[in-house]
Amino acid sequence: MGSSSGDLRYELSQNAYIKLVLHSLNHPTSSVNGVLIGRISPSNDAVLIDDAVPLFHSHLGLLPQLEISLMLIEEYFSAKGLNIVGYFHANERSDDYELGGVAKNIGDHICRYFPQAAILLLDNKKLEALKKSKDRSAVTQLYVRDASKNWKLVQSEGNSRFSLREPSANLILLDYISTEKWKGIVDFDDHLDDISKDWLNPGLFN
Amino acid sequence: MVTKTEENQLNRLESQVDNAGGGAWEYLCLVRKLKLRRSDKVLKHGLSILNNPSKRSALGPEEWTLYEQVAVAAMDCQSLDVAKDCIKVLRKKFPDSKRVGRLEALLLEAKGSWELADKAYSSLLEDNPLDQTIHKRRVAMAKAQGNIPGAIEWLNKYLEIFMADHDAWRELAEIYVSLQMYKQAAFCYEELILSQPTVPLYHLAYADVLYTLGGLENLQTAKKYYTSTIDLTGGKNTRALFGVCLCTSAITQVTKGKSKEEKEGSQVQSLAAKVLEKDYKQRAPDKLPQLTTALKSLTLSS
Repeated sequence: MGSSSGDLRYELSQNAYIKLVLHSLNHPTSSVNGVLIGRISPSNDAVLIDDAVPLFHSHLGLLPQLEISLMLIEEYFSAKGLNIVGYFHANERSDDYELGGVAKNIGDHICRYFPQAAILLLDNKKLEALKKSKDRSAVTQLYVRDASKNWKLVQSEGNSRFSLREPSANLILLDYISTEKWKGIVDFDDHLDDISKDWLNPGLFN
Repeated sequence: MVTKTEENQLNRLESQVDNAGGGAWEYLCLVRKLKLRRSDKVLKHGLSILNNPSKRSALGPEEWTLYEQVAVAAMDCQSLDVAKDCIKVLRKKFPDSKRVGRLEALLLEAKGSWELADKAYSSLLEDNPLDQTIHKRRVAMAKAQGNIPGAIEWLNKYLEIFMADHDAWRELAEIYVSLQMYKQAAFCYEELILSQPTVPLYHLAYADVLYTLGGLENLQTAKKYYTSTIDLTGGKNTRALFGVCLCTSAITQVTKGKSKEEKEGSQVQSLAAKVLEKDYKQRAPDKLPQLTTALKSLTLSS
């Protein structure tokens, strides 16, 4: 494995994970996206995704809103020693597992500043099955760039490259879903429509 | 498009009905009037009326409208049995109705029986070739099957006939944007601006698309349309204010040293920046530091 992301693990915190899934549930009829916030682990062998900011639920392919959001988000988190380390995308149709052009372009852009950045794609079927399956693995697919800078799916079977930090994350997620917690999620679209809405979602996990 | 007043009224009614405070019929009528997609609520509250014989008969002839509304909502929520029952009731009452025929075809769609649905729509169209709803279902079916080029084709055909359908132009523009076909999206917004020049939403979307396309001419035009959006919205549109700042910065990067352009440009930009900072100070003060830094970096590069 020659690429810089070749051996890295990716670890997703519960807070980031739940925020992203709830955001998708809040806009079930559109595609949505978000950014992953985190850092490289002290042992240099993992990307730790500590938080996430939901971005948009309309016109994902337009630049102005993306540029503004990345500027403001990067500015906020760099003061805390964290970076934008990846991108999250949920397709409009539940059976669409393709990583589209918009997602790849945004992923590439993030890689310019954080070369080991990853893309998480929502796995709708897995999400739907979650209530019955008691699966502990994340309802997202992980994509990283190979040596030729193409986005490749990281196979999940028995793989230790992608994990949820807290093993009970799915249980907590299901609980939040049953209490319709997705209603309170604020994304950057909401913020731009009304700046008094906070894209940090501070009260979400209280 | 929904106005602020209508949105507030809807939210008020919705929470009232959700908390068993009555007003279900009023809510359902408002949802129908505004053509909103609130299928889970419509299903829940609509069924509570339909399953209650006295409430149902109190509706009089509107009873059938409610059956139709609930049928569509049920299909959206994949409660196909409920939908089937509603349609059965309607079929019994209106045995020769094309409107019920549409619902039956919609049910085929909801089941995923694309070919059967397509046949049903085609035959309905034979008798009524100008039925807009059915034409639009063709687009929706293509989209649902992941056939986006097909959806675009159908939508373009639709717009050749019904060129005044603004929602259709918007839908087409959004599909183009999702495929990164920005020139084509721009064309759609141009049509919209031509027919409704005082709607700021179109100016803003057009500007966003032009900025995304890039290049000096597009950036300059984008800036004009962000400015017209600011005009039309009394300076209250945050996206347009940001847009002006982004454009000025980008234009200067591209031109690098044409002084005439710079002086004019930076005036509008610094005005926009001031308005943004004032607004953030008032309504989002904890986000002000990041805003100030971001604006500084945009003005420094110009």
